[in-house]
Amino acid sequence: MSDAALRVMRGLSLPIALLIAWQAAGLAAHSVRMPLPTHVVAAAADLVRSGELPLAILQSLSRVFAGFAVASVIAIPLGLLMGSSRGVERNVDPLVESFRPIAAIAILPLAILWLGTGTAAAVMIVAYAAFFPIVINTVSGAKGVNSTLLRAASTMGLPRLRIIRTVVVPAALPAIGVGLRIGMGVAWTAIVAAELAVGAKAGGGGSGGIGQMMFVFYAYSIELNRIIVCMVAVGLVALALDALLRLALRLLMPWAR
Amino acid sequence: MATGAPAARANDRIAIGVLRHLRGAAAFFVYLRTMLAFFVVWAIIAWWTSNSVLLPSPLAVFAAIGQLAADLELFFHAGISFARMVGSLMIGALLAIPLGLAMGLSRTVGEVVDPTIEVLRPISGIAWIPLALFIFGIGNALPLFIMTYAGFFPILLGTIAGVRGVDRRLIDAARTMGIPQRTIVTRVVIPAALPSLMVALRLGVAASWTAVVAAELIGAPSGLGYAVEWYRELLATPQVMAFIAMIGVLGYLCDLGVRALARLFTPWASDARSAP
Amino acid sequence: MGTINGSIKLRLAHVGKRFDAAGRAATVAVDDFTLDVAQGEFLVIVGPSGCGKTTVLNMLAGLDRPSAGSVTLDGREITRPGPARGVMFQDYALFPWQNVRGNVGFGLKHGPAGAGLASDARARRVQDCIDLVGLNGAEDKYPHQLSGGMRQRVALARLMANEPEVLLMDEPLAALDAQTRLILQDELLRIWGQDRAQSSRRTVVFITHAIDEAVFLADRVAVMTTRPGRLKALIDVPLARPRNDATRASAEFQALSQHIWSLIRDEAYRATVT
Repeated sequence: MSDAALRVMRGLSLPIALLIAWQAAGLAAHSVRMPLPTHVVAAAADLVRSGELPLAILQSLSRVFAGFAVASVIAIPLGLLMGSSRGVERNVDPLVESFRPIAAIAILPLAILWLGTGTAAAVMIVAYAAFFPIVINTVSGAKGVNSTLLRAASTMGLPRLRIIRTVVVPAALPAIGVGLRIGMGVAWTAIVAAELAVGAKAGGGGSGGIGQMMFVFYAYSIELNRIIVCMVAVGLVALALDALLRLALRLLMPWAR
Repeated sequence: MATGAPAARANDRIAIGVLRHLRGAAAFFVYLRTMLAFFVVWAIIAWWTSNSVLLPSPLAVFAAIGQLAADLELFFHAGISFARMVGSLMIGALLAIPLGLAMGLSRTVGEVVDPTIEVLRPISGIAWIPLALFIFGIGNALPLFIMTYAGFFPILLGTIAGVRGVDRRLIDAARTMGIPQRTIVTRVVIPAALPSLMVALRLGVAASWTAVVAAELIGAPSGLGYAVEWYRELLATPQVMAFIAMIGVLGYLCDLGVRALARLFTPWASDARSAP
Repeated sequence: MGTINGSIKLRLAHVGKRFDAAGRAATVAVDDFTLDVAQGEFLVIVGPSGCGKTTVLNMLAGLDRPSAGSVTLDGREITRPGPARGVMFQDYALFPWQNVRGNVGFGLKHGPAGAGLASDARARRVQDCIDLVGLNGAEDKYPHQLSGGMRQRVALARLMANEPEVLLMDEPLAALDAQTRLILQDELLRIWGQDRAQSSRRTVVFITHAIDEAVFLADRVAVMTTRPGRLKALIDVPLARPRNDATRASAEFQALSQHIWSLIRDEAYRATVT
């Protein structure tokens, strides 16, 4: 057997063993509530066919994209400015560092207070969550630009703003990309948390999204199979978002190895 | 560098120390100035909106902090959240570090376990809350489980990366000295992986601290997340902001603590201070 | 001491440079440094590492300002970088996100060197420079896909594309292996135009720590002392141009190299132990 095939077999052995053990234990337990892998698959097929799951995911995604866009539009220019000007960095950094340790979900109560339980509050949470990784990585990217490249551009007589556009931005792009990827990850986590919390605490309502859907399955019917479908969907969407972003960054930076 | 007299060097060193202090003081001054500007802007907006529920003035929030601190409520909830984090971090590290060592050292273990980890990792801790609510109910176990789960993956990945990143030549050097395998692991691999592990611990603390708020907000009868939600329902916004500030302060102190630990355990690592 | 032929292009008069790092004693990098460079001259500065050669070059480029004395180009004070003085950096300084064509055309596209140039004229000049350094066929490659010698050629083409009056080169060949280095020395002289009249050549200030390289390339060699960097000697190199492998094998070449080595041997030794 080839080495690669052996590796695949090894990799699959544990998940398969765990699934079999879960199924066996579930069958042995004789409980109606006990989730089973086979039931999870059936529930997934149901939720996809009825369109509930795709709709909920789309709802959550639209919020993530909106909040992510807001965060990027503010964080990238601000980060570039902070990274290329010591004065701006010194004065703005205290604010960034003071708010960074406050988890996005902690400001959910304020967001609900200010914007209600709908989409606006969710977008605010996402934007807040994604803002910090993007701004911090942009600053470090802009500060980490090889100083010889800056000198080379200035010996060719380029004005300062032109240098930021033609040297600092492309040189910082890999770091900005890292920030965007981390930001997208936390944004997705934040939206699930926000929707869950809104579902749990703000009396539910029509806020929707995958997080809300999970909570409804818990609170009103205790359908564990369906909850697990949602969990898997959360994981798959996280992977897909990261893969998409990585592809976009690769297309944007053909020079990167 | 030109060699000067020892006395001149000592003088230099004192001058350097003074300069460093001055620079630290200057940075602190800039920090105070920025935060003061922030509070002034906030106060003006609060005065303009004049709605103490929607946006209380900073003074009202400071008063709330003072009052909550005086009757110890602030510290009570902070202590509970902090204890949960320390507990979950210890459980997480206890599970993740040995597993990470095994996965990093043995290719077979790595290949067997890795796909399972990669399947579970994208499912955020927060997504486990509904299922965990069913299993554990509301109480201490739920936040502990969610936080442990959230902190587990960064620590595991950091440990694996640390072990795999150990300079091959260090191991070869030890082998040429005839040192047995087990000693190489304890005396070469683990110390060499330690800086990376400490960075991972920082990420783990950050992840589990983010999870604590969400978990307590939904499924615990105490802690900072619970307190924030409790006062929101009472529309006591100054108290809500006071607890949010406490979440930030405690999160910052935890990070500071892990960094201090990192400096203590890995004084040779230069990047123990840098941000992840 | 060396003799000046022709009009003076660059002048360093009693130049000093000290760096006042916060929290550290000031370093005197260059002290009372006086040197004239003639139009069309190839001047090489040699000295042990850390002798302030790069500081001198940075002041000529306008990247650093002298703490004392004056640095002038055609009699005018140099205060900041400008396209009349092109710099070739030691570690290539190629923009990783630009391919060969983009790197060579960078100054023409974004800097004043390309002002008033139509885009097809610009493209032609870029292509001419790429051909000049023998990189045709590699136009669309990114720096990380090129060998060290090829990267150096890109840097040279980029320098020539901006058509500066003065070429400032900071150990441009230091990172290359010995063979590539010899080849690029020949290329450099060819591109500089060593078979042309001095009045139609560009002025070059070239920094190196390799003595044979200095003798092979230079009209005059300036020898520097270690910190603080001072001018120790100026040596004429009367070897006939065009120079080639026969030049390297000549007794005159060997004698000059020996002479310069004897001047800096003690300095170089001291630099390795402090």
